[in-house]
Amino acid sequence: MAFKKDTVTGTMIFIIVLSLVCSFMITGTAEILKERKLAKKRDEVQQFVLKAAGIDISQGDFNALFEQRVKPKMVNLASGQVSEKDNLLDFDERMAAINPETSTKPKKDIAKIKTMATDIRIFEVYDTDGQLSSIVMPIYGKGLWSIIYGYMAIKPDLNTIENIVFYEHGETPGIADFVTDPQWLALWQGKKLFDTKGKMAIKVIKGGAKEGDIHGIDGVSGATRTGVGIQRLVEFWFGVEGYQTYLHAIAAEGK
Amino acid sequence: MSQVSSTREILTSPIFTNNPVAMQVLGVCSALAVSNSMQTALVMTLAVTFVLVFSNLIISSIRHFIPNSVRIIAQMTVIASLVIIVDMVLQDVAYELSKQLSVFVSLIITNCIIMGRAEAFAMKHPPHLALVDALGNAMGYGLILLGVAFVRELLGRGSLFGHEILTTIGNGGWYLANEMFTLPPSAFFLIGVMIWAIKVVQRKRS
Repeated sequence: MAFKKDTVTGTMIFIIVLSLVCSFMITGTAEILKERKLAKKRDEVQQFVLKAAGIDISQGDFNALFEQRVKPKMVNLASGQVSEKDNLLDFDERMAAINPETSTKPKKDIAKIKTMATDIRIFEVYDTDGQLSSIVMPIYGKGLWSIIYGYMAIKPDLNTIENIVFYEHGETPGIADFVTDPQWLALWQGKKLFDTKGKMAIKVIKGGAKEGDIHGIDGVSGATRTGVGIQRLVEFWFGVEGYQTYLHAIAAEGK
Repeated sequence: MSQVSSTREILTSPIFTNNPVAMQVLGVCSALAVSNSMQTALVMTLAVTFVLVFSNLIISSIRHFIPNSVRIIAQMTVIASLVIIVDMVLQDVAYELSKQLSVFVSLIITNCIIMGRAEAFAMKHPPHLALVDALGNAMGYGLILLGVAFVRELLGRGSLFGHEILTTIGNGGWYLANEMFTLPPSAFFLIGVMIWAIKVVQRKRS
């Protein structure tokens, strides 16, 4: 039977076949590139964690460095329990945070994240002697327009900030660029998270923090709301619903 | 175009005498946007070449099966699929660059050169001629794009492919960079000058 292209059936058959062929072409390419994309994502996580821990990655192989110095672990936020699992580099935190089976709704959602994962992947970073040098924890929350994603590294005293990085945000370009500015991020280094009573005390202060203020970070004028958002997300993640149970658990263990 | 046009003519005419950007004024939008540096212009040219060659090839080889009533949709489907593939590959190979080209890679779908060649040429000619036509048009597009980018990057930033050619005053040299060339409107003037030049040459020839 000859193919009659200009009949209704002919047109239908043609369009269906064409759509199928084209979709196979696209999914085929996506499938080929998938493995490489995953590897790239793993590299990105490694780079940012090392950066957050204040380790210089400009020289040498950061994959090997990560392998040597960093141990990813899972933390249950409600119980503070730490567990080790395989293939933690492929753990999809964003999926875990929205999947109803692995997430909860925060009771006091000051970081405006709506849902959060019950188990979070953290990274223990060791120095060259094998001593714990810092713990890198993911933090995220809403700035003015967008969710800001980052990592906070704290020292083994569980109070001093080693370093902080933000790796993704959609705040106003040009105005809120300080979020990724190394100079501004350096202001966080050495600040204390908690006051003497154990309350979360980090403040992003409009007009600049006073000299010697161990909890204050300079705010940037014109981007007040972004600053407030960052303060809130730190407040949230180091509050009762965030890492506090876990931090108390390892503090008790250490004593 | 005459019926007896030779293969050679199909290849060379879109490069100069019938240039898609300069003579048919197609695809100007992307030519303005990505021609501020040689690197983005080259990548854009390669992307357009890939899409143009394969869309012409595919459409030409299935041209006897394409129902008349849905031919534009069929062409768009093929072109769009190819553009998505280019976009995915580009994001994989050169992520930073794909960010610079941003939306313009996806906008190849609406680049009139590709639609135009599919509808005007590939639908009526066998695959080998369609391939030659695609290469010719891609070269014509690339020539203008790279030509404009050459002038814009050299005068606007004193560099070519990111390598410094004219040392700018900012870097302790003598050349005062003309920032206007880094902005899109300058491409308008440059393309205008090119159209003028091509027309003058053509008039002299005939």
